[in-house]
Formats: sequence, C-alpha cells, structure tokens
Amino acid sequence: MKTISKIAGLLMITLFSFGTLSAQGGYKIGDEATDFKLKNVDNKMVSMADFKDAKGFIVIFTCNHCPYSKAYEDRKIALSKKYAPLGYPVIAINPNDPAAEPMDSFELMQVRAKEKNFPYPYLFDDGQKIYPQYGATRTPHVFVLKKENNKHIVKYIGAIDDNYKNANDVSNKYVEAAVDALLAGKEVEVKTTVAVGCSIKVKK
Amino acid sequence: MSIRNIFLITLAIGFLFLAAGCKSESKSEIKVVNFEQLEPAFTKNDDVLYVVNFWATWCGPCVKELPHFMEVYEEFKSNKKFKMILVSLDDSDNLETAVKSFIIRMNLKGELYLLDDIKKMNEWIPAVNKDWSGSIPATLVIKNGQTLSFDSRDLSKDELIERISKHL
Repeated sequence: MKTISKIAGLLMITLFSFGTLSAQGGYKIGDEATDFKLKNVDNKMVSMADFKDAKGFIVIFTCNHCPYSKAYEDRKIALSKKYAPLGYPVIAINPNDPAAEPMDSFELMQVRAKEKNFPYPYLFDDGQKIYPQYGATRTPHVFVLKKENNKHIVKYIGAIDDNYKNANDVSNKYVEAAVDALLAGKEVEVKTTVAVGCSIKVKK
Repeated sequence: MSIRNIFLITLAIGFLFLAAGCKSESKSEIKVVNFEQLEPAFTKNDDVLYVVNFWATWCGPCVKELPHFMEVYEEFKSNKKFKMILVSLDDSDNLETAVKSFIIRMNLKGELYLLDDIKKMNEWIPAVNKDWSGSIPATLVIKNGQTLSFDSRDLSKDELIERISKHL
C-alpha cells in the first residue's frame, strides 16, 4: 500500500512539473536559444547561422498591427543601423497567426518592410513554432543573444526601452545597455524587464 | 430687496448646492495618477477589502466584464469595509475623449483612476503582483496590504463575488 502511494505521489509530482513547464515555457537568462529557418519578406529563408560574423543577435518579436510595435519601428531601425556593424544584427520575427489577426499577414509584412525600408530581416513564424520556444508573450518582445561556443545564449529579455509612447523621453535604453555591455565583455546589468505590448495573436 | 425675495434667492442657492452635492455623488470622477500616488489608495492598514481592477477602453475582455463588476459594486457598496477601485491604463491623451465618455456611458462607479506612469511600468507591474505580465484585465483583492487574490484574466460575476465574500 505504502509503495503504491509513493509511486502515485512521484507520478503526480512529475505530471505537475511538466504541467508547469509547458505553462510557463520560454527561455530564461543563460539558456541556449534555438536557431530557425524562417521566410523573410524577400521570400528568402533566413537563419542565425547565415550570419557567420555576428557576435550575437537582437531578436525582436514584432508585428504590423500592434500600436506598440509601430511606436517602436524607428527605434528598431536605429538599433539595426547602430549594432549590425558592431556584430549584433537585428532580426525581426512576426509571431502572429494571420488567421487570428489578418493585418499581420505575410503580404502586409512585405508592404510594411517596403514602406519603412527595414534594414533588417522581417521573418514570418510560419505555424507559430518559434515564438513559444523563446517564450515571447508580447509584441514587441526582445531577446538579446550572444554567441558562445557556437551556441546562442540568452542575455537579455524584455522591452526595448522604458517609454513606448515617447522616443524623446526615454531614461532607460534597456537593449542598448545590454548590447553595449556584451560588446565590452561586461555583465548585463538589467537582464530582464517587463515586455510592454500587445498579446501575441493565436487562433482559438 | 424684500425679505420674500431674499428668502427665494437663498432657497434657490440652497437648491443649487443640493443639486451640486447630488451630482458629485453620482458623477464618476476620475483622477490621473502615477503609481506612487495610486498605491496608498489600496494598501492602507484599515481592514477594508479593496478590489482593484486594471482595465482600458481598448481592452475587449475588460469592457465585457465591467458591467458585472458594477453589479457586484452595487451589492457590496453599503459595506464600509469594502471598496472597489478601477484603474484605467488608457493613454492619458484620451482622458477627456474616449475615457470620460466611456465612464459616463457605462456608468462606472467606485474610485476611478487613470494610471499614467509609462516609464515606471517595469517597476509597478511587478509591484502590483510579482507574477503579473502586465496584461489586462487584472483584478487584485487586497486587505491591509496583504494580497488575498490576484487574477490576470477576466473574472465571472460568481468568481468575483467568491473572492470578495470569502474575505469580508
């Protein structure tokens, strides 16, 4: 009797832990981030492995429709222009299901990329397989990765800066501070912040 | 001026004050605050049960649940140990337009605030609840600074009543 209850107990604990794991999901600081092979707005497939000289990446889950994503568009472009030459290119990924949010279709991604002349890849997370692995919950949601021994290690997760509303009144440029620290070989001070933005759209 | 006229004028002024008084009771006034100003409103050590609901006019599920929050407010409002606080996370630019017209249309009651503290979101979101992602609707039930429940989703009328009556 005692053994059975022990086994039952163990089973329950295992089930609960798996439950929690799948519920929380996503990377923590220090985790290895998965590469991907996603379609860019120019119809070519893009992976992090393509960037042989990169020291790391600024992966931004973002989309067309969300006002917060739109508010950050110029800042994303600025990040790309500043950090791609320094070894940290921006890679934007649209995690939304167009069936749930038609404004985030691949065609409209191409339109937006052309309108704003995006200097970075804007990829479509077809089948929504990548964003759950990262644990992105919002658009925009940033994951700064550093290449260590051919692995992409998560070094920062969260918002781009502390003021989505006004680019001219920003006190904390979280992503810039993180990448600057990594470039200088220093520890990132603020490793995580709350991502502010629209929820990721999933078809119910 | 005759005494009769003075009397009539005083009566008129009296009615005006009465009307003004009645109006401010039913008028739903909303205060724009930052988190430092908002927090004391629901963390007092006064044995009062505070139901703090975070919402916005642009949030579909928030708009859907507010009417039954108001029904629950009507049920409990006479209890001096109960207070409902509604915190809008709308853009403060929209206060005079979208927000106030919404409040009037929905006849929102309770203590109404608009939390305008964008740059401190990374601080106040976890301060409200350490597990909160900041998504709305969200409802905090708190007494004497102790969190009794926190739901980062919409609540049915029954769920809300359960969370309240358990602690009143």
